[in-house]
Amino acid sequence: MTQLHVVPLRRRTVAALTAVSLVGVIAFFWPFFVSPQSVAADHATDAPWFFAVLLPLVVGVLLAEISDDGLDAKGVAMLAVLSAVATAVRPLGAGVAGLEPMFVVLLLGGRALGPAFGFALGSLSMFTSALLTAGVGPWLPFQMVAAGWFAMFAGLLPQIRGRAEIAMLMAYGALASLAYGFLMNLSFWPWALGQDSELSFVPGAPLSENLARWFAFNLATSLGWDIPRAVLTAVLTLLAGPVLLRALRRATRRAAFDTPVRFETPIEHPAR
Amino acid sequence: MTNRWLHPGAWWLWALGLGAAATRTANPLLLGLIVAVAALVVSSRRPQAQWAGAFAVFVRIAVLVVVIRVGFTVLFGLRVGTTDLFTLPSATLPDWMAGVTLGGAVTAEMLAIAVIQGSQLATLLICVGAANSLASPVRLLKALPPGLYHVGVAGVVALSLAPRIMVNVRRVMQARRMRGRPTRGLRAAAESSVPVLESSLDDAINLAAAMDTRGYGRATRTSPGERALQAGLVLAGLMGIALGLFAVLGASGWGWLLLALGLAMAITGILVAGRRIVRTRYRPDPWGWPETLTAATGISAAIAVIAVSSSTITIPLTWPALPPVAVAAILAAALPAVLTPPPPVPWRTA
Repeated sequence: MTQLHVVPLRRRTVAALTAVSLVGVIAFFWPFFVSPQSVAADHATDAPWFFAVLLPLVVGVLLAEISDDGLDAKGVAMLAVLSAVATAVRPLGAGVAGLEPMFVVLLLGGRALGPAFGFALGSLSMFTSALLTAGVGPWLPFQMVAAGWFAMFAGLLPQIRGRAEIAMLMAYGALASLAYGFLMNLSFWPWALGQDSELSFVPGAPLSENLARWFAFNLATSLGWDIPRAVLTAVLTLLAGPVLLRALRRATRRAAFDTPVRFETPIEHPAR
Repeated sequence: MTNRWLHPGAWWLWALGLGAAATRTANPLLLGLIVAVAALVVSSRRPQAQWAGAFAVFVRIAVLVVVIRVGFTVLFGLRVGTTDLFTLPSATLPDWMAGVTLGGAVTAEMLAIAVIQGSQLATLLICVGAANSLASPVRLLKALPPGLYHVGVAGVVALSLAPRIMVNVRRVMQARRMRGRPTRGLRAAAESSVPVLESSLDDAINLAAAMDTRGYGRATRTSPGERALQAGLVLAGLMGIALGLFAVLGASGWGWLLLALGLAMAITGILVAGRRIVRTRYRPDPWGWPETLTAATGISAAIAVIAVSSSTITIPLTWPALPPVAVAAILAAALPAVLTPPPPVPWRTA
């Protein structure tokens, strides 16, 4: 089975996605490879603010690039409605362990509609749900990138169908929501702790030591929430995944995204 | 002054200016003053809208941030200063958890640093919370640059559809209750998601048809050369940003230059892309003198605090002084509380 791409994967789009993901990787993982002589090491608590300003810019550039020649009215409508669904179900998960119902929408959306659309869906849903719940803060740019990746990689997984696909998506959903928690911790690790605690990162220290400190920080803060969240995401994918994927794929077939538009010269009627 | 919405960009510039001031001073008196100014403006210019309650939520998060910071310092802090307050029993964790030492002596200096740095963060969050409850989110989306017009439209539609979908969820649950099916638990949530998603997807297709018939998304014709230029600018800009970041983190001198160049190219690329989009604005938000005043007071507070205050904490601890320039600039940021037009009052039915 080939995958449907609501946003066609042209070379331009792939290149922009790769470049923005690279900037995202730097914005999250910089504590592990920052040089001790760098400005960022002296201003470790300010660096996240810098990235919180830079990330919306690059995500904006990417979304402009995706929508420039990839999104028609149907794509915009699909993006709007799926973001609305993700936004509407976000509060439902708050009581349990966080974001699971929203994650399932992003996972299935990215899976059924392609990786580039997935990234746009993930980042836009985080943005609109933050606006609706008035949760715009320095964490939002990081959430947008992480949720974009979450949906994008679901679309990049191998194209298999049937039970194997659901099993794969369950495993991916559990792992990716764990990874999401770890990434969000990583994004505020430098400024939440400052430089003078046993769990803070040490610029220039060996990777293994900083990784161990990061893991300890995760354990001390959010692992107790991250694990139930991963399990719930997998369970919800198992229960709702098959029907919802079918519904999404049927709707995209009805919308006929990949049908080329052709204009034909009308047939002349000699009688008139 | 007649009631009208202040441009959301003005509120955000004001709040981010105050927030930047907060991150640049370690003076608890100035931090307290910033919080007081933010609270005053919010209480006098907050609209009657659902999102306006954000300020209280952010204040709660801010308090939590200080508490967490102090907690981590007591448990994991490295010893700073000489004034011992109390000593906790200490334990060393195994090597696979970085060999961290828990507990130990807690000094007054450690606590003071934790409280002050936590308050810097907390003050910034309170400023962001003020912007969240003062600026209308939908108007913010409408003010996006033209290159982001399509995504902005999707965002506006998503914001206005989301409450309707919540109502749909409730309706489906009601139908399940009437049929004697369970309405709680994971299975109920999974099963009720199908009708909700199906009806939303139908909405999407109808919406797309409606947009198509009204000529939405028609771009002006541009030459292939212009489009290639735009794609080249965006890609080269993004690569420049990534390489510049690597260089800055590796302490190379030319990193900032590359970063600035990349940003300039990427932004030019968006602007070029925006030229293809033809759009009209419904009720545009004007930028008048109240907007300029609001933005200027926020930014000048940031400049004044950066000029006269320092974010390093001196040891031994001393009682902080009050630099008059910074105090005056921060107090001036309270002017929007009286000099901006009040927000519109919503229509009351019944």
